Amino acid sequence: MTDRTEDSGNIQVVLEGAGRKIVVFACTWCALIGADGAGKKRISLPATFRVIPVECISRVEADAVIRAFTSGIDGVAVMGCHLGGCRHNGANLRSARKLELLKPLLDTVGIDSRRLFTSYGTAHEYHQFAQAIESFCSQIGEMPPVSAWSRSFVRAMSARGENE
Amino acid sequence: MSLREEVLTRVKALLKDRRVDGVLGLSLFEKEPVPCLFEDPFDVDALVIEPKWLLAKLAMNILKTAPQEYRLGLVCRGCDDRAVTELAKRNQLDRNRLTLLGIPCTAEQARKCLCSTPYPREIVAGERVEGMYPMNDEQAQLFLTGSMEERMKRWARELNRCIKCYGCRNVCPICVCIPCKLEDDLWVKRGHIPADMVSYHLIRAFHLSDTCVSCAGCTDTCPVNIPLMLLQVSMRETLKSQYAYEPGLDPERVSPVLTEQEKGEGTLFQEPAWIDSLRGGS
Ligand code: SF4
Ligand code: SF4
Repeated sequence: MTDRTEDSGNIQVVLEGAGRKIVVFACTWCALIGADGAGKKRISLPATFRVIPVECISRVEADAVIRAFTSGIDGVAVMGCHLGGCRHNGANLRSARKLELLKPLLDTVGIDSRRLFTSYGTAHEYHQFAQAIESFCSQIGEMPPVSAWSRSFVRAMSARGENE
Repeated sequence: MSLREEVLTRVKALLKDRRVDGVLGLSLFEKEPVPCLFEDPFDVDALVIEPKWLLAKLAMNILKTAPQEYRLGLVCRGCDDRAVTELAKRNQLDRNRLTLLGIPCTAEQARKCLCSTPYPREIVAGERVEGMYPMNDEQAQLFLTGSMEERMKRWARELNRCIKCYGCRNVCPICVCIPCKLEDDLWVKRGHIPADMVSYHLIRAFHLSDTCVSCAGCTDTCPVNIPLMLLQVSMRETLKSQYAYEPGLDPERVSPVLTEQEKGEGTLFQEPAWIDSLRGGS
């Protein structure tokens, strides 16, 4: 994808690494506030991510992350409150441990755990959110699209003389 | 006395003294081994202890369907013992109704299963042999190392043979949820072959991340020879190094991903960088 800058009004949309899709799960109490702030301040951000608000990141099961990769999402960010500052009885701590356990599995099969970005309490302010998203997007931009995974799958199938 | 004879004596004694109502083990049926529930001491001579056959899930189902007062004996190996422990921790079976008759595995069996603990916590007879570390096995090493691209290709090649028989799920002694996500179109499309590599296999593997007792059941059962147990190795290693936790070994300890563990207890929480995985975290 070519990088280009579009001017629509005074909002700058930077289409960088535009082929990649990124999903951000943001907790209402922390990262979503950062995301809202970044929007209000009209900070220019990569256009490749979409935010899904969740009450608490403990609602984001590891299965949802896996499912996102299946649907061709190249990077998943899970952003919640800092550990110890959860409004739901430390649910984010348990969720954090689970997601941390998913990383070795992603590495084992070659999806690469760097596609899963976890942040706890580091994106509350708008500038923190903007910075986190920007560096995550550029990191994902440098990696091959996750569909490479399914493509190597298809290749393996056609090598066996099957097609679908 | 051989290991088998020792087990026979124990089983007979248990049944005669009415300490259990039945003992689950293997017997030969037309020269083929099959699981068998022995309720009469006179039948017990037919009991065999080879080959390795996972019985924990069967024992769980027997206890679930039998009357409340039914007590069961189980001839079990290390993997079954760990599986029973995990099932009991998750309230899937009542440990008080179950008497275990532990037997150790041979070194050869342990190598075949890549098993690090080829014996139950208590054994009725025989000798414990050393387990092995999965990464010391050549085939396992081949599968678990290399660049991301190499790993991806390797696993794509393996997993795309899957005929989605659900054998890996059915055989796994810990896979007991009803309903199962692998039968839910939202997560895994039914009726599609091969199974979607990422969602079918990774969801299955991840659900066993902190419960897999490395029994090698999944690898043994797969009709197309996918070395499925190797998917669990890195997660088991992580639990071991971060929390000194191994599923099935300690009946008292709750899985660390389910508990409120204080900061600083595991290495995971001493790294400030960890709260933001982009800044030098894992
Ligand atoms: S995932 Fe495989 S090795 Fe682990 S407990 Fe289940 S069947 Fe056994
Ligand atoms: S046992 Fe093998 S073929 Fe059957 S569903 Fe599991 S991976 Fe697929």
